[in-house]
Amino acid sequence: MIKLEPEILQAVEKPARYTGHELNAVHKDWDEVDCHFALAMADTYEVGMSNLGLKILYEVLNNRQDTACERVYAPWTDMEAIMRERSIPLFSLESFTEIKKFDFLGFTLQYEMIYSNILNMLDLAGIPIWAKDRNDEASFIVGGGPTVYNTEPIADFFDFFILGEGEEVISEVAETFVKWKREGKPGGRKGFLKEVAKLEGIYVPSFYNVKYNEKGYFSSIEPKEPEARAKIYKRVIKDLDSVHFVEKPVMPYIGIVHDRIMLELFRGCTRGCRFCQAGTSYRPIRERSREYLRGLARKLVDSSGYNEMSLTSLSSADYSCLGELVDDLFSDFEGEKVSFSLPSLRIDSFSIDLAHKLQQVRKSGLTFAPEAGTQRLRDVINKGVTEKNLMTAVEAAFKQGWKQVKLYFMMGLPTETDEDIVGIARLAEKVARKYKEVKGKWGVTVTISVSCFVPKPHTPFQWFGQLPKDEFERRQRLLKDSITERAVKFHYHDARVSVLEGAISRGDRRISQVIYQAWKDGAKFDGWTDLFKEDVWHEAFRKCGIDMKEYSERTRDFDEPLPWEHTTPGVSKDFLKREWNKAVAEQLTEDCRRGKCSGCGVCPSLKVDIVDWKRKEGEVKANV
Amino acid sequence: MYKYRAQLTKGDEIRYISHLDYAGVMERAIRRAKLPAAYTEGFNPHLKMSFASPLSLGVTSDAEYMDFELTKPLCQPEIFDKLSAALPPGIRLIKLKPVKEPKPCEGKKHKALMAEVEQGIYEVMAPLTGDWDAAVKAVEKYNGATEVNYHRVTPKKTRDIEVKQYMLEPVKIGMSGDLVKLTMNISITQTGSIKPAEILELLHNEYGLPVALGRALINRSKLMGQGKDLIDLV
Ligand code: SF4
Repeated sequence: MIKLEPEILQAVEKPARYTGHELNAVHKDWDEVDCHFALAMADTYEVGMSNLGLKILYEVLNNRQDTACERVYAPWTDMEAIMRERSIPLFSLESFTEIKKFDFLGFTLQYEMIYSNILNMLDLAGIPIWAKDRNDEASFIVGGGPTVYNTEPIADFFDFFILGEGEEVISEVAETFVKWKREGKPGGRKGFLKEVAKLEGIYVPSFYNVKYNEKGYFSSIEPKEPEARAKIYKRVIKDLDSVHFVEKPVMPYIGIVHDRIMLELFRGCTRGCRFCQAGTSYRPIRERSREYLRGLARKLVDSSGYNEMSLTSLSSADYSCLGELVDDLFSDFEGEKVSFSLPSLRIDSFSIDLAHKLQQVRKSGLTFAPEAGTQRLRDVINKGVTEKNLMTAVEAAFKQGWKQVKLYFMMGLPTETDEDIVGIARLAEKVARKYKEVKGKWGVTVTISVSCFVPKPHTPFQWFGQLPKDEFERRQRLLKDSITERAVKFHYHDARVSVLEGAISRGDRRISQVIYQAWKDGAKFDGWTDLFKEDVWHEAFRKCGIDMKEYSERTRDFDEPLPWEHTTPGVSKDFLKREWNKAVAEQLTEDCRRGKCSGCGVCPSLKVDIVDWKRKEGEVKANV
Repeated sequence: MYKYRAQLTKGDEIRYISHLDYAGVMERAIRRAKLPAAYTEGFNPHLKMSFASPLSLGVTSDAEYMDFELTKPLCQPEIFDKLSAALPPGIRLIKLKPVKEPKPCEGKKHKALMAEVEQGIYEVMAPLTGDWDAAVKAVEKYNGATEVNYHRVTPKKTRDIEVKQYMLEPVKIGMSGDLVKLTMNISITQTGSIKPAEILELLHNEYGLPVALGRALINRSKLMGQGKDLIDLV
């Protein structure tokens, strides 16, 4: 058991990050269980504690009699320095046990820029960084989460990955482990990996041979063990009412990023934005029932004491029974001073009315995501929103009393020209002027937040070469100079980070050397702008003899094998190609939720179907 | 409105959370307890609650006080049990009393909880690193001094504070197991006070008290006004 001296805790920022003992944390007797699972996020306590996936898996695992699940997050740099100086190993927040004593250390892979932190945590735990160096005693390092659809850049650090939704498979993993352990661990470490590889959705990277061609490009990946599948499909929950959801969240003593209840209405989004990886990786739409959600809301308010609840999903306003659900919640929690919020709004008046109803008096600000500045480019990305939609929505919002609007855009999308960039400024200005028109006076703030587009695996833009950093920066300047209205404020992302993300997210196994080198040379918390060390990363690419631009800026051939195709969310390459062709032809694709199936391949290949409580029976069926 | 005063602890588990965080934790506990709590008016309603003197980060306490209001009068045992059951590890409810508001004819209302605080008693435990006699001498020397200045540096400003004006009694020294135990009785005024950690720092740095500063633990054992425990003032 690790005990931190008062002088350590007095010396660090936010010491309660390291002291545990939160309400609803689960403490089990170490010797009473067979499987010890540490769930980790390679980011701060405040970020990690806000992650819904981890909350769910924590309960699923702890609901098993034979398993104890505990939490661990990345120590902040001040604490890390002390831990290294005093040789304090990474520890869990429940029993304060050394992490390397756990059977599993599972990382949620939220974004590429935390990879260096993963290595740092392994190192702090005293666990070998490379999977090949781990002996039979070492913990199994597991990864799962959003970036799992291209794990090659980190494949050599992990023992296995879980693709897709984890509620069922995480339990199967624990079960497989307990069985293997009780049988006396036949075959040692590899023996277990062979067993776990038999489960659907499990990818054991060491069971594959990777080849590259004479040009140095990835050419193939093939199983070398009989248990390894040639293609691994994600796991998907067919009926979300049938699996466990958070009921007793661990309650932090200090403020965290999302310090409120998160009620997940549904999974998936099939609006079909062509840049969006979440859109392809969480298909199809599966809604929870109104009754189930209502019951969950009650349990969560009672067990947490929170008075704020966020109705989360990729596009919450699309929940088919949202109006009714909100009415239910209003009546269930009448007099309890619980407030409800939607994390994102659709650009229409239904959303405005709803936001009005939810926010009642507090009109903090509305956020919309037109994503591109011109209709042409919005058609390219299949963002089915017109300028008219936006103007109608903001007009309604201004009439209801809102004074702040935030608009999200992306820069560097395929086919983008300077006209599209200037279009962002024009659109924002029109929104600002709409306020004047409605209210007869100025007084609005329109904030445009512009990120740099990073092409992602398993999207129709997966082949597209990302813009160079200088070009992003030129377009940022162009946009800045194009804004003439004082009411419009401009924020933009750091292009230096986006191009690195671009290289890593479409990287192959050779990128792991670069990540290792960068970490060795001091990279950590790369997602935190003030800690990001651009030169360390560039130097790491150079030291490894790898051209970063080959990964970020090179446009791939359609028929070129891609290093992420063997780990798939189920969308077919044909569908992605079709969508690319439609993108350049500026043609839209309908949402399959109510419209016709666009043949992405997910439903038939995973044997799932859409669950939408208001979709007329028999209207649309994917060819399951 | 029906007002109550609670005496609570801040245990070892949560010694490193701030005063503000402690208030947030109590707000959620009251909500979990399903008490008919009274809220402030306005866009962003908050529970009507107030606390006595804030505690420094790292200090535990047997004497945290919270006033809160209910919209319905419940009997004391019911509130006590419900609130106790909803508390997180690290907080215990020690006492609970209704606050009797004086009748209008009796003049003024109760003072704000914060304004009632006049005196705090703290215990400091720290490993002895030298001679026991030297430790006793250091404390005696400090107690005998007529004027002692502490140089307080905060991110905002730096100033010198005369410490002895806040010492209601001489610092007591004893042993508890193999730890040195110091008891400090400190005056808390509207215009200022001195923190037990600051006195310990002075004792160590200026008077040569041989203890391990970095391993010292401080606990507030009492908070008083008009010579009485705050819970007995209602
Ligand atoms: S298979 Fe058809 S219905 Fe299913 S998610 Fe894909 S496009 Fe939608």
